[in-house]
Amino acid sequence: MSSDKRLFLFNFLRGAAAILLALLVATVFIFLSSKQPLTSLKYLLLGPVISFKSTGAVFNTTSFLTLLAAMIPTIFSGLAVCVMFSANQFNLAGEGVIMLGAFVGGLLGIYLKLNTGLHQVVCVLVAAIVGGLIMLIPALLKVKLGASEMVTSLMLNYVIMFVILHFLNFTFADRSKGATQSFPFQATAKIPEIVANGTKLTWGLVIALVFVVIIALFMYRTKWGYAIRMIGINQAFAQYSGIQVGAIIVLSQVVGGILAGMGGSIEMLGRYNTFIWRELPGYGWLGITIAILAKNNPIFVPVAALFIAYLDKGCQLMAINSDVPFEMIDIIQASIFLFFAAEQFLAKYRQRIVVRIAQRDLALQEAAAGQEGSKS
Amino acid sequence: MTSELLLSIFNADFLFVLIRITAPILYAALGAVIAEKAGVVNIGLEGIMMISALFGVLFAYWTQFWLVGVLGAMLVGIFLALVIGFFAFEMKTNIILAGIAINMLGAGGTIFLLNMFTGMKGNTGALVTRELLIPVLNIPLIKSIPFVGQVLSGHSLLTYLVFLLVWIIWVVLYKTPLGLNIRAVGENPDAATSIGVSVQKIQYIAIAISGALAGLGGAFMSMYYSQGWNSGMVAGRGFIALAAAAMGRGEPLGTMLSSLLFGLAQALRTKVSGVQGVSSYLVSAIPYLVTILGLVGYAISIKNKLKKRQPAVKGV
Repeated sequence: MSSDKRLFLFNFLRGAAAILLALLVATVFIFLSSKQPLTSLKYLLLGPVISFKSTGAVFNTTSFLTLLAAMIPTIFSGLAVCVMFSANQFNLAGEGVIMLGAFVGGLLGIYLKLNTGLHQVVCVLVAAIVGGLIMLIPALLKVKLGASEMVTSLMLNYVIMFVILHFLNFTFADRSKGATQSFPFQATAKIPEIVANGTKLTWGLVIALVFVVIIALFMYRTKWGYAIRMIGINQAFAQYSGIQVGAIIVLSQVVGGILAGMGGSIEMLGRYNTFIWRELPGYGWLGITIAILAKNNPIFVPVAALFIAYLDKGCQLMAINSDVPFEMIDIIQASIFLFFAAEQFLAKYRQRIVVRIAQRDLALQEAAAGQEGSKS
Repeated sequence: MTSELLLSIFNADFLFVLIRITAPILYAALGAVIAEKAGVVNIGLEGIMMISALFGVLFAYWTQFWLVGVLGAMLVGIFLALVIGFFAFEMKTNIILAGIAINMLGAGGTIFLLNMFTGMKGNTGALVTRELLIPVLNIPLIKSIPFVGQVLSGHSLLTYLVFLLVWIIWVVLYKTPLGLNIRAVGENPDAATSIGVSVQKIQYIAIAISGALAGLGGAFMSMYYSQGWNSGMVAGRGFIALAAAAMGRGEPLGTMLSSLLFGLAQALRTKVSGVQGVSSYLVSAIPYLVTILGLVGYAISIKNKLKKRQPAVKGV
């Protein structure tokens, strides 16, 4: 038992070291590029939760609530990626499917006439189903034909985006507005804020957290989740032990699509009043970072999503209040990708811990054997 | 409308544009071929192209000499590919994740770097002057042949180079010991190890070549194609290149043909979007849709081939 604990602690510390290293890389770049590096760092690291006033630094509750609000779509995309990557399916279409879910949910929010309560549920459910169905494309192509899901899903993102833009511009555009946007969503379809204070912290967060639990149970307490993880660990072994590998691979990507579609529609109906996305929203890629930080474990997704939201906000504030551009976040994220996902990062120490545990266990066993020997 | 379209397609100008549009895809696709032959997935081609495109412009501007820009872009490409290799081979980061990391650097990191080096935002604007672009070559005799001259002459040096590289890479892969090693490592790393080939060394070499090619593709984009660097410039060409390599069965010649197909789809987009009544958005989706369809077609052909080859094995 204690050996598990020590390895867990090690993994935790290793993750922390990777994040620190990534922030260190960021710091180096800030010092290289900024004329006021300390101000930049202050806003990056503390800005998201603390507001600096002439009287001193104060905890900023509103800002913290906007961080929580920012987690809503990324929890969904993070969960989607967790499920797909767990089965070793490098499906990168989360990005496009979130946009599709938002579009489908948005359209239903505009044109469907239903009572509030039912209206939101229908919008989100249909968006989820459409998301699941569209993921059948890369999934079936992979299973039936052996086409790389990575390449097809990447292409799918662009196809989805351009098709949506086509319909947004030529079919559903509200011509009375200057910018390209849809007609407004009906009030019955809007996902309300938990407290009406303009932070956009909607009940979507609660739904997202419920799905964290559902997906965690799905992955660790059902035979399908087990099969998904088993395929990820060793596909050949999964096949020999009688798991229907093809069906499970399809399942993992469809579940991913359902989650992404759902997240897109909830974000759209919660944060916006009309459909105004004119490019891919970026949540799909954030979802990959989040899944990596969470080590594909659904339970850690909210923590990772909060961290990413914090980082995002920090970079925004830094860009506003200092001379470092917002794109710093990509450098930090890339460093996290590289170090956090590196199995060999600090592997020597891991090896040392494993050896020490093994030696201790061996010593205990020998002692026990020695006692038994002396008894007889 | 149809006849108007056909007329605008089957002329020398269009074929010239086709070659021009295909070149950057082909650079990256050849990079994908080399990497894949060694059993390495280089999904970072997109990011490598972006970053080396930026450094191509910067090096050319700093030294006021285009060739330094091109070579600099190539070196940056090699460096980034080796970064992917280091994290994938030494640190055991999943190579797809390492590639995605480089793509992130390509998307946002470039804007940051541009700002850091020049204070500019989003594009290189005034940095690029005519003298800093990759020079155009008018081929003496061919130039004066009516139709052929219009199509084949007057491209940039790097355009000719990439089609030459198709042949060079074929030679390297199939006529040199290095190529033999690369293929051996890709097909059966254990067998390669057993005859004393260092799998890791070969994979490093392969991914470095792959990075060099993507770097040249990046230089082509910023120092010839769009005459300057801007943030949305590569626009998925690195990803399309992966598809082109897959569809070209990982062979240089086949990859050239599939790259030409994707080039055709993109060239059609520029043609068709000028025509009245055609949605530029749907036309923009064509290259990506063609990529998916192409992959499907390729996968089906492979499957049929396998079926023919192994009629005795059932249920596999």
